[in-house]
Amino acid sequence: MTTREITYLEAVREAMSQEMRRDKEVFLIGEDVGTYGGAFGVSKGMLEEFGAERVRDTPISEAAIAGAATGAALMGMRPIMEIMFMDFLTISMNQLVNASAKMRFMFGGKCSIPMVIRAPSGSGTGAAAQHSQSLEAWFINVPGIKVVAPSTPYDAKGMLITAIRDNNPVLFMEHKLLYRQKGPVPEESYSIPLQSAEVKRQGRDLTIVAYSIMVPRALEAAEKLAAEGIEVEVVDPRSLKPLDTETIVRSVAKTGRVLIAHESPVTGGFGGELAAVIAGSEAFDFLDAPICRLAGKNVPIPYNRTLERAAVPQVEDLVAAARSLAQEGR
Amino acid sequence: MATEVIMPKVDMVMETGTFVEWLVKEGGQVSKGDPLFVIMTDKAAIEAEAPADGILAGATAKADDVIPVTQVIGYILAPGEALPTQTAPQPAVASAPAKVEAPEPAKPVEGASESGKVRATPVARKMAEAQGLDLSKIAGRGPLGRIHKADILAFQQTQTSEPLTAPVTISAPIISTPAATTAPVAAASPVIPAPAAPSAPIQLPDARRKQVVPLSGPRKIISERMAYSAFTAPHINLSLRVDMTEAIRLRERVLEPLQAQTGQRVSYTAILARAVATVLPRHPYLNASLSDGNIILWEDIHLGIATSVEENLIVPVIREAQGRSLGQFVTALADLTERARNRRLKPTEMSGSTFTISNLGMYGIESFNAIINPPEAAILAVGKMVDTPVGQDGQVVLRPLMQITACADHRIADGATVARFLADLKSTLENPYLLI
Repeated sequence: MTTREITYLEAVREAMSQEMRRDKEVFLIGEDVGTYGGAFGVSKGMLEEFGAERVRDTPISEAAIAGAATGAALMGMRPIMEIMFMDFLTISMNQLVNASAKMRFMFGGKCSIPMVIRAPSGSGTGAAAQHSQSLEAWFINVPGIKVVAPSTPYDAKGMLITAIRDNNPVLFMEHKLLYRQKGPVPEESYSIPLQSAEVKRQGRDLTIVAYSIMVPRALEAAEKLAAEGIEVEVVDPRSLKPLDTETIVRSVAKTGRVLIAHESPVTGGFGGELAAVIAGSEAFDFLDAPICRLAGKNVPIPYNRTLERAAVPQVEDLVAAARSLAQEGR
Repeated sequence: MATEVIMPKVDMVMETGTFVEWLVKEGGQVSKGDPLFVIMTDKAAIEAEAPADGILAGATAKADDVIPVTQVIGYILAPGEALPTQTAPQPAVASAPAKVEAPEPAKPVEGASESGKVRATPVARKMAEAQGLDLSKIAGRGPLGRIHKADILAFQQTQTSEPLTAPVTISAPIISTPAATTAPVAAASPVIPAPAAPSAPIQLPDARRKQVVPLSGPRKIISERMAYSAFTAPHINLSLRVDMTEAIRLRERVLEPLQAQTGQRVSYTAILARAVATVLPRHPYLNASLSDGNIILWEDIHLGIATSVEENLIVPVIREAQGRSLGQFVTALADLTERARNRRLKPTEMSGSTFTISNLGMYGIESFNAIINPPEAAILAVGKMVDTPVGQDGQVVLRPLMQITACADHRIADGATVARFLADLKSTLENPYLLI
């Protein structure tokens, strides 16, 4: 396989394009995905290759996008719907939660809804409270929807391809700050199973479980702490539902200490679920400190840059939290 | 209420600390967290902080007092408050002959919660249960006295070390077995009879004295350990010369990229450390310790780098060196030596090595024999690179040769074992590209 460095954004585009070339039922639908090439430029050039039938611009109605995608999926197509900012998914909620997620169950398996909901998430761009949220916890709590949040270009491509081929609705979160990050990605098509967490860095003193933007931050924190002699293991679940609990539990059983990091607000966040999974697993017997969470503050993301930074965990916060957890009682 | 100021326990094996100085005068005002006094442990000077806001009173500790950990050495009083009368601080323990004391009974009070249950982490609880230990007898160092894994391990160590009966010149805890992964073997400090004193006392020369430096702190530890090693471990010293041409080329090649990556210049010590960490797993008897009738072969390589700090030998340790890249060695070495020079290393960062490298090449030393850093099995003594004429294809050419000497404990390893290690290290350094 030929591997070269491309951005996260290009990896997402490549996954969509390769799947659209392979399967004529796959198409992209969303606001400004065609002529404009997507609000972040993800679908740039795709209209030219695939035409307006398969790269469909829509009116400004997220409910309509979700409804159209659900209907198309019901009739055997494989839509990829793009929501310009994850925050606007709230307008699609009824379609996604009450229709897309439940139809396969309610009709006794007579239909399936093979659709992908792509949505840029997260803060850090000065886009304020209505354009900066990470709403994964809302969807994780809905049976029938899978939730994926890859942190690298390689993972993004392989997991988006898997998501497109999945016969269930998959919410695919793309952090805005990851779009420009580069990494090695094979040119050829490949898929990564959703339920496969990855140890992004080995360490013996504590585990940081992080996903999306928190992965590069945790890796940077781990590098800093290594200089102090603290060896951090970083585990990226990549898919939040279905969750590869085995890899996480194995790591925590090894290090005996775990810090869970995410950007969305701490209260009711996915970190609570992770903490409960770890506490209820065989890793419990090996825990040598309380399970800790480092997550977003319980506030809307502020517009002011300084406050925006302060609202979600940064590298220095991860360093401080991991250091104190690693040293507790040692 | 008066807050007690105690001799802190900064290291798992610390039993006493040498008092250096108060940073605040008797009667002086302090805030909680202010530097209050300085102590000297086995290896480093450490500042201790004031435990409360108030006025320092009843400060009994004086310079060079050797004081057991947790002994009260003063009080912090609120304004207008009097010194507590009953518990007058005891006089400091005399420093002269080091003796092994029975470990202090742990204080169970701290560990108990209001309900009377002991606070302990799940793993500590499980370990205690498996070994039949009573958690209420173990002191925890976590928040609210919570017992962690480290506390159980420390407790086990105090249980296994026996008091010595005969007076000896070394105190047993100075040589603690490193905490590296191994087949399970109970750690016990070696108990070695002291060498017999000469029958006639040795006379000091009749000369004018310039200064008398007390043998204390790090110097005392170094002298005890080195004497212990020299007189108990039969040393064998084997040398060979390594052609460093390729290693020099390698260093030049990676200098800039690694500097961009780590901000540090690659030293030959880093290359050597990486080479040793690569080669050593193939020679397990040189990464070993003799303990309690067993040879423990360590899985982990905790690599000690002998460093000179103000006339004292300090050995910062790169833990689990076996898996590290060259870049990581560069970063770790720069950090450890910098902090060693500033005396900012934590005690755990300068103990527990399983193999040591001592490089005196920078002083122009071409070759030397080193004394093994106990309880290790071997030490590598590294000399200066010297351009040396050698014969090659019928020509005499100049080659940068570096002499390395492996000094090993003959009780653990034989000459051929050491020779194989040296040959392996030589060939690795002469074909060093696998080290990247």
